[in-house]
Amino acid sequence: MIEVGRLCVKIAGRDAGGKCVIVDVLDDKFVMIDGNVRRRKCNVVHLEPLSEVIKISKGASHDSVKAEFEKLKIPVWGTKPKKAAERPKKVRGKKKKAEEAATEAKGKKKVTKKAAPKKAKEKKEEKPAKKPEETESVEELLGGEGEVKAEKKE
Amino acid sequence: MVAGRHKSRSMRRVFRKTPGGKVVVHYRKKKPKLARCGSCGAVLKGVVRERPYKLRNMPKTKKRPTRPYGGVLCTKCLRKLMIEKART
Repeated sequence: MIEVGRLCVKIAGRDAGGKCVIVDVLDDKFVMIDGNVRRRKCNVVHLEPLSEVIKISKGASHDSVKAEFEKLKIPVWGTKPKKAAERPKKVRGKKKKAEEAATEAKGKKKVTKKAAPKKAKEKKEEKPAKKPEETESVEELLGGEGEVKAEKKE
Repeated sequence: MVAGRHKSRSMRRVFRKTPGGKVVVHYRKKKPKLARCGSCGAVLKGVVRERPYKLRNMPKTKKRPTRPYGGVLCTKCLRKLMIEKART
């Protein structure tokens, strides 16, 4: 009964109930199995042989077993490749931090339009008090920005 | 003196030594019964005997064996079932 190509059902362990095929006979107790189970060494006692026999070579690869099983329309065990999750990157150095801050600020402006004009108003109030001489130029600049933002808001 | 509600044996008694050397009795809730096989009634191995609040914080793999009918049937009954299924 125990021979290369014999279809079996595994009756013990986590793969119990799965159909498999004997790929290699290791000794009088153990065989190598593959199919709808993990490819592994298995005790003969843990297998229930079926009447069918597949034509496969001794020590056939998982792919060839898979091809044979697909002909018989038996599902085959396999792993799905995992995608590596994105990790937050640590940024070192002042320049890079400044760049990040700039990019974040841009994002915020786009997302929260209400918050941006308020900040501009605050700047207006603060800066003239500190430097009364440059009020005109600063106000012009800030005013210009504010207008642009107001337009955006509208 | 034992409090009236603790006179019945519905609670488990645990003896604890205090730092002062006294032995005091703590009352705990009893553990549930052992898990048993659904078909033959044998005691199942690898199934935790705890109250639900402890099982909730436990990983699934620690609560029952990782195999079909794990935590429901014993291995002998599982083998019989699988052989029956294979032969029909």
